[in-house]
Parts: sequence; C-alpha cells; structure tokens
Amino acid sequence: MEGFLFWFLGILMFLGGVMMVSQRSAVISAVWLVFTFICAAGIFALLNAPFLAVMQILVYAGAIMVLFLFVIMMLQGPVLDGDRKLLKKSYWPGIAIAPVAVVVMIVRWVSAEGLRPLGDAPAAGFGSAHHVATLLLGRYLLAFELISIVLLVAIIGALVIGKGERKLPWK
Amino acid sequence: MEITLTHYLVLAAALFLTGMTGFIIRRNAIVMLMCVELMLCSVNIVFAAFSRVHGDAGGHVFVLMNFAVAAAEAAIGLALLVEIFRRRRTVNVDDLKALME
Repeated sequence: MEGFLFWFLGILMFLGGVMMVSQRSAVISAVWLVFTFICAAGIFALLNAPFLAVMQILVYAGAIMVLFLFVIMMLQGPVLDGDRKLLKKSYWPGIAIAPVAVVVMIVRWVSAEGLRPLGDAPAAGFGSAHHVATLLLGRYLLAFELISIVLLVAIIGALVIGKGERKLPWK
Repeated sequence: MEITLTHYLVLAAALFLTGMTGFIIRRNAIVMLMCVELMLCSVNIVFAAFSRVHGDAGGHVFVLMNFAVAAAEAAIGLALLVEIFRRRRTVNVDDLKALME
C-alpha cells in the first residue's frame, strides 16, 4: 500500500511540476503548482509527518499560492498572456547538461551504495503537532525566535517596496 | 518492492531539476518565482525523509523554517515585481536589462 501510494503521488507530483514549467499561461502554471504542493502534502503524510502535511496545504497551497494568483490577476495583461517565447532554443543543450549530470550521479551512487532502507517505523506520535511543538519551543527555541525576525523584516520590506510614490501613514 | 530512502531522494532530485529547468527557460518573472517555490518544496521532502530515517523530528522543524523563508521570499519577490510592473509595464525578464548593459 505504501509502495502504491508513493508511486502514485510521486508520479503525479513530477507530472504536475513538468506541466507547471511547460504551460505558457501564468495562471495555469500556478494551478499546476498548487496540484504539485497537494501531492507533496501526501508525500509528507507517507513519511510520518502529518503536521507538515497539514502545514503544506495551509501555508503553501493556501496562503502562498493565493498571494501568487492574486498578483497574477492584479497585474493582468502581459502577465496573463504568459511568455511570448521561452529561452532561445540554441541554449537548451547547455541547460540539459545539469539533469544529465544528476542522472549519471544518481545511477552511479545507487549502483555503488545500493538502496538505503527507511528503517523501522517510528514510534506513535512521531511528527504530530505535539511532538514538533515540543522541539520547536525547546531545542530549537532560538531558531523559532529568529525566524520571527525574518518574517518581520519581510513584512516591513514588502510594505516599503510596495508603497510606490505615496507616503506611509507614519511619515 | 519496498520503498526506500533512495526513492524519496530521487523524487526530490527530479522535482528540483524540474524547478531549476523552469527557472532558466521561463521568461515570466512570476513563473520564475513559482519555480523557486518548487525547488524549496523538493528540499523539504529531503528533510522529511531523513527525519524519518533517523527517527528525529528535528528535520520537521527545519521544514517549518523553510515555510517561513518561502513565505518571506514570495512576499518580497512579488512586491518587487509589482513595483517593477508599475514602472516598466512588464515582468518579462528579457525586457529588464538595465543592469546588463
């Protein structure tokens, strides 16, 4: 069952990514990306990370993609039309080198090391909200506090960049 | 066949390469940002997979940090794009060559 779910979700996810890259329209690309993220949530659930699966749907497929779609709809015109053209065809062989190199690397690695097993199933409650929260507010408390500064800076930055020529209310 | 760690790593590598290829060949800056999100997502799968192997949920915390970074990146990137669109009426990177010349 786990094997079937992995192949099902993995193949759908990869196809979703390819569709996102190959669609000319920005809106259709965004919808395919949402599809890919929902499949990623399924993969997280398979990896005994139920909390991450929920957060993937809430934060990624929900908040972040709504922001993207909102901007695409707001700008309209040239953005909705998508790409007039992709990168020049003459550059494509150069771009293909990286995927080929990675495939060769993976094949050599797997043939040398073999497949590394996932090991025993973790204890019940692994990856639950309670378990992750215990770590987040314990061992990783400093990182948790610092990430809030990152978010604060991002909020202020977005506000200042997006205000245009108008003055901010506190000036 | 049993699903192993290697399967998850290969899936993540495939997604990362898809996102990277998209980032290079697409000319619409918003779609390029979405490709970066796809690459971040593939990294999250690697974190979750190794977390599962080691039986330590520390990797889950890293994924949550990644979510926050992705949200910050999307907010700043899109604000920049809106501002660029306001001034230049385009988000096509072929038309944004002021720093190239």
